[in-house]
Amino acid sequence: MALDPAIETTLRAALALLFAAAALHKLRDRAAFRAVVDDYRALPRPLGRAAAALLPWVEVAAAAALAAPWGGAPRALGPLLGAALLAVYTGAIALNLARGRRHLDCGCLGPSLRQPLSAALLARNAVLSVAALACLLPPAPRALHALDAFTVVAAAGALALFWSGAHRALANAPRLAGLRVSP
Amino acid sequence: MTEALLVSNALLWIAVVVLAALVVALLRQVGVLYERIAPAGALVTGNPLPVGEAPPVVTVRDLAGVPATVGGASPDGRSTLLFFLSPSCPVCKTLLPVVRRIARDEAGALRVVLASDGPPAEHAAFVREAGIGELPYVLGAELGLAYRVGKLPHAALLDGAGVLRAQGLVNTREHLESLFEAKERGVASLDAYLNATQQEVA
Repeated sequence: MALDPAIETTLRAALALLFAAAALHKLRDRAAFRAVVDDYRALPRPLGRAAAALLPWVEVAAAAALAAPWGGAPRALGPLLGAALLAVYTGAIALNLARGRRHLDCGCLGPSLRQPLSAALLARNAVLSVAALACLLPPAPRALHALDAFTVVAAAGALALFWSGAHRALANAPRLAGLRVSP
Repeated sequence: MTEALLVSNALLWIAVVVLAALVVALLRQVGVLYERIAPAGALVTGNPLPVGEAPPVVTVRDLAGVPATVGGASPDGRSTLLFFLSPSCPVCKTLLPVVRRIARDEAGALRVVLASDGPPAEHAAFVREAGIGELPYVLGAELGLAYRVGKLPHAALLDGAGVLRAQGLVNTREHLESLFEAKERGVASLDAYLNATQQEVA
């Protein structure tokens, strides 16, 4: 099975944008991200501190590797790094869902858009992992056309907007639920 | 024919991006609306202590195990802000800088006391890490029961005579400040204030 190069470039661009945005909000407010990692209680405290310092830079590396126009073996680096990050986050979320600690802030979009943990986040990460791993498929032998550049920019832009919209909707959901119970 | 398809495809992509941008803008507006209709003051729920009466004097222990009392008239006439928190409550941590600032700015008129319960070692580690060593920190489950604390972070404001002036669930700086506003205006809570003004209008 081969993947059309325009689709692969779109997926890579969209995932690179996603990891770059994720790294940006974590680096902007390091204290908030440290608190999020602490609250997940997935690691002993000193290890958690190290993870909180390291994860944003792994995200930067993943974004750069996804965006880099590499051929050959390094081509797999970005998708694998991205999938590994998603696996770590999925594991931490699943662990806390299993513990019943749903009230935690997901930490997904920074401190301004708090959202509790939910199974929807696991589904979201599964979709993203499939998208990242799809980039490992061999590219179809087709020369890219000028129109492909337009398609890639428009599709990656649309995906980024869908991403932002979906997260805003997820962040609004508990606020709506809060209004329903209060008198 | 191919050219017509290309033009159509390009137009459709533009439409998709514009629609996606509109959806994000709408959801942003919905988020702002939720923020606006959230309770503006400290939320009083359940069966609160009556405002205007003096809560019982409760004996608690500080982190070193030394007994201390909370409640009653304060010797220097200062008011007391009791801030109920827990090391495991994320919102409490975000409010700590606000609490510290209030304690510093209002030091002449206000004494801030942090209150929690549980094993002292855990709280000592929390105090070190959060850098709140300058504020008195007391432990005692009786205190939470006496003030009928439901959800954290909860705050209660006592005046110099030990009379409860305001209380409630505080999630933001505005909620905390609403306690002082309530004390100055002599109302029990924002709800009580709104109800009173609505009755005046009616």
